[in-house]
Amino acid sequence: MSAGTLRLERVTKVFQTPEGRDVVAVDDVTLELPPGSFVTLLGPSGCGKTTTLRMIAGFETPTRGRILLDERDIARLTPDKRGMGMVFQSYALFPHLSVFENVAYGVRLRGVRGRDLDQRVEAALALVNLHGLARRRPSELSGGQQQRVALARAMAIEPRVLLFDEPLSNLDAKLRVSLRSEIRRIQQQLGTTSVYVTHDQSEAMALSDIVVVMNAGRVEQAGSPSEVYRRPRSRFVADFIGSADFLDGPVLGVTPEGLDVSLFGVTVRVAAGDGHRVGDAATVVVRPESVRVGDGPIRALVRGSTFLGSLVEYELMVGDQVFGALDPDWMSRGLHVPGEEVPVSLIGSKLYALPPDVRSDTAAHASDTTEVAAD
Amino acid sequence: MDTSALATAGGPGTGLPGDGQEAAARGRRRALDPAVVVALVLSVAFVLIAIVWPVLAVIGAALTDGAIPIFQRYLSPPQNQILVNTVVLGVVVATVGTAIAFLFAFVQVRVPANRWLKRVLHVIALLPIVSPPFALAIAAISLFGRSGMITRDLLGMRVDIYGLPGLTLVMSLSFFPVAYVSLMGLMRALDPALDEAAANLGSSKLRIFRTVTVPLLLPGLASGFLLLFVEALADLGNPLVLGGNFTVLSSRLYIAIIGQYDMLTGSVLAVLLLVPSLIVYFVHRYYAERASVVSVTGKPTGRPSEVSGRPARAMLLGAACLVAGLIVLLYGTIVVGSFTKLLGVDHTLTLRNYEAVLFGYGTKAVTDTTLLAGLATPLAGLLGVVIAFLVIRGRFPGRGALDFGTMLGVAVPGTIFGIGYLLVFNVPVQIAGFTIIPKLTGGAALLGGALAILLVYILRSAPGGLRAGAASLQQIDPSIEEASISLGADQATTFRKVVLPLIRPAFLSGLIYSFARSMTAISAVIFLTTPQIRIMTQQILNETDAARYGNAYAYCVILILIVLAAIGILSVLVGSSTRAERTSGVNVGASR
Ligand SMILES: Nc1ncnc2c1ncn2[C@@H]1O[C@H](COP(=O)(O)OP(=O)(O)OP(=O)(O)O)[C@@H](O)[C@H]1O
Ligand SMILES: [Mg+2]
Repeated sequence: MSAGTLRLERVTKVFQTPEGRDVVAVDDVTLELPPGSFVTLLGPSGCGKTTTLRMIAGFETPTRGRILLDERDIARLTPDKRGMGMVFQSYALFPHLSVFENVAYGVRLRGVRGRDLDQRVEAALALVNLHGLARRRPSELSGGQQQRVALARAMAIEPRVLLFDEPLSNLDAKLRVSLRSEIRRIQQQLGTTSVYVTHDQSEAMALSDIVVVMNAGRVEQAGSPSEVYRRPRSRFVADFIGSADFLDGPVLGVTPEGLDVSLFGVTVRVAAGDGHRVGDAATVVVRPESVRVGDGPIRALVRGSTFLGSLVEYELMVGDQVFGALDPDWMSRGLHVPGEEVPVSLIGSKLYALPPDVRSDTAAHASDTTEVAAD
Repeated sequence: MDTSALATAGGPGTGLPGDGQEAAARGRRRALDPAVVVALVLSVAFVLIAIVWPVLAVIGAALTDGAIPIFQRYLSPPQNQILVNTVVLGVVVATVGTAIAFLFAFVQVRVPANRWLKRVLHVIALLPIVSPPFALAIAAISLFGRSGMITRDLLGMRVDIYGLPGLTLVMSLSFFPVAYVSLMGLMRALDPALDEAAANLGSSKLRIFRTVTVPLLLPGLASGFLLLFVEALADLGNPLVLGGNFTVLSSRLYIAIIGQYDMLTGSVLAVLLLVPSLIVYFVHRYYAERASVVSVTGKPTGRPSEVSGRPARAMLLGAACLVAGLIVLLYGTIVVGSFTKLLGVDHTLTLRNYEAVLFGYGTKAVTDTTLLAGLATPLAGLLGVVIAFLVIRGRFPGRGALDFGTMLGVAVPGTIFGIGYLLVFNVPVQIAGFTIIPKLTGGAALLGGALAILLVYILRSAPGGLRAGAASLQQIDPSIEEASISLGADQATTFRKVVLPLIRPAFLSGLIYSFARSMTAISAVIFLTTPQIRIMTQQILNETDAARYGNAYAYCVILILIVLAAIGILSVLVGSSTRAERTSGVNVGASR
């Protein structure tokens, strides 16, 4: 088996509603998936993740654009000829077949028979830690076991690409965490190129080599989890991944190490993308962990606090700007109560100024989106 | 071994015609599975040629100048009496039939009674489905006719059962089972919590029945009523046997074509029959869909509240038993009559009737009918579920039209197909001098007209398979099929290995329905039989006409036995529905 290279080139999908209106589900998406990579499509409900995945699988046809597997356009291949294993949110096990027969289904279609078949099926079941359940029916399994069977079934055909559509969303929180690390382990063991759809950002972070953040049919940003978290390309990405507040301030200086931005009258050196000029206004992403509570030059009003045990989460206000902060050190300093004034400082090395061009782009795009939603 | 499969998978375009430049130029065409294309083309061709064309031909024939005076004649007194009769018969039969259906369903679901009694009532209620619709009419003549064993011999009355009263009796009893089955399904699906909620709010039992149960069942009742109305309108066998002077459109139409060779009048009458049938049929479908939506409030929990008052119980059970007794009496008459020289006149026991039917001149009718119905059954069943699959899962424009076109097969009265086939297929269909379709009806028809009869059997039965298949497909998660496809199975394999097993109960009931329907059909095929092909239902009619009731009864009994045997064989062949349901783990039952 070999892992495939998957490329999406300017793929667009327009659906026609029964009333004849057009819905742009996927809008000009370009992606490159290196062989063996684990890529998640992450975004809010309705942003086009499933549609993108289904176009890769062949269940939807792109309205425009090309999908290439190992440099060949697969547009004219029906889904059964694509050799892509798919794991469905609803498991989609064949209810009339046993676990063994479910896993054997695709292998048989490849002409494997007899002992080879048994071995392939057993190996796949072993991979997902399902021993001794081969004779059961899907209805006699728990949800987690069913999803393992679905995983084994998709992997047993030794696919070039594995596709997952929110495979864990029907499971309880604990099982989700354990199964997702299992999926990651198996994927790394086999080295199969994988595309994984989720709207759970922690799942995306934990699993992926590349996170693709989507919004209203478009790719907002694609990058490694740390890059997407650390250097979000847009307000949307920063907001969607982790929690973030945004502070605007004038750019006072541009240096190779970062920007000097004035926030609340204090100059802070922040990491930034290219393209900022002195005198422009910059939007700075402030994450709760980039605010130090307890000392600093800025006086903030405590508007609310949530006690989380090891941490305390504060809602702070300076002027008319509201932002969140985490205090990991509350034990030594004590708790602050709403109405109190506390000194705070912004930790420049943990801040990030959004690239200016993308900012305006996003704004234009945002109005685009509302149009689609409105019509 | 699998590496080769993977090589194909990994080498897109290999071995695919039209790859490359040409394909790119043609743009973003969806990659189509060839099996789907073939299925689609065949289904559409069948619907257009076998269903739509004959109907249009009838309409076309009635839209000529010469037809106008005929329309005028049948729309103004005194001839409009036929139209009035037809509507009156439809309304009366539908009302009585729906009432009986409701009574039987209510007794099954809401009246506490001995389990065995209920089972017996259920089986009796289903009997009319497996017998020719006019079997009861013949028995009714023997029992209640001018020289009826009960009316004249027992009670000394001189009543005339011919006409509206007799037709109401036998048609209500013949047609109510379909409404009964669907109403019972609806009642079972009603969430008992609704009743409990009403009781909790302080409603009395009777009040709950009036304000909760009946309104919720109203779409179901409406749909049953309308269906019975259409059936009554379309029925030809009973009016021919028992109509007497009470002429309705279908019997008048039959006389016009068979007795007077007047295709024009026949077509005009057909259009007069077609318009109300179509309207009412599709209103019925609307209510049928509404009814199934209403019943799905979630998974019903608890047991439906039962009728606890003694007098009410006794009344309901008594009424159901009375009707059941009447059905048993009528069928008993058929069985006894089949072993009797001439019921009501000469009660000598005899096997002569069977001898004539099985080993005499009836042999051919028995074999011909069984063969044709047996051939039509798998074809119609398959066509029905394939079209269901295309309509529910397909994503091509015009799915609704395909559905509609197929449903015309039952929405349009059979007599109209009879005329339509005579109009269209009585001459070879030629395009540019080439014969595309040979002559299918009349003298010197291909295979003695067997093909035309086969087509009619299929088109009358396929809609049943379509509805059963569609209902059960809608319960199956489409991802299950997508999973199969993503594992490398093409559409045909997926259909065979995943879809068919999952909808097996529906498929089986589709097959049974198909066979029973074909064996008992008369209204269309009566126009298409030739001396080379004999059909049992028509023979029964002939024997009745000639007052050879013994033979007619023997035919009926044999026909019923053949249908019952077929049900047994099909159940074994296709697998019992209970097993399929238990093992599938998903709710695929559509036919309950
Ligand atoms: N068959 C269809 N016909 C019309 N519109 C569709 C169809 N399928 C999807 N859409 C629309 O396309 C958009 C994207 O849908 P998609 O299912 O890809 O979203 P998603 O990101 O997977 O969302 P979720 O997280 O809720 O699953 C939505 O606005 C949806 O309504
Ligand atoms: Mg989705």
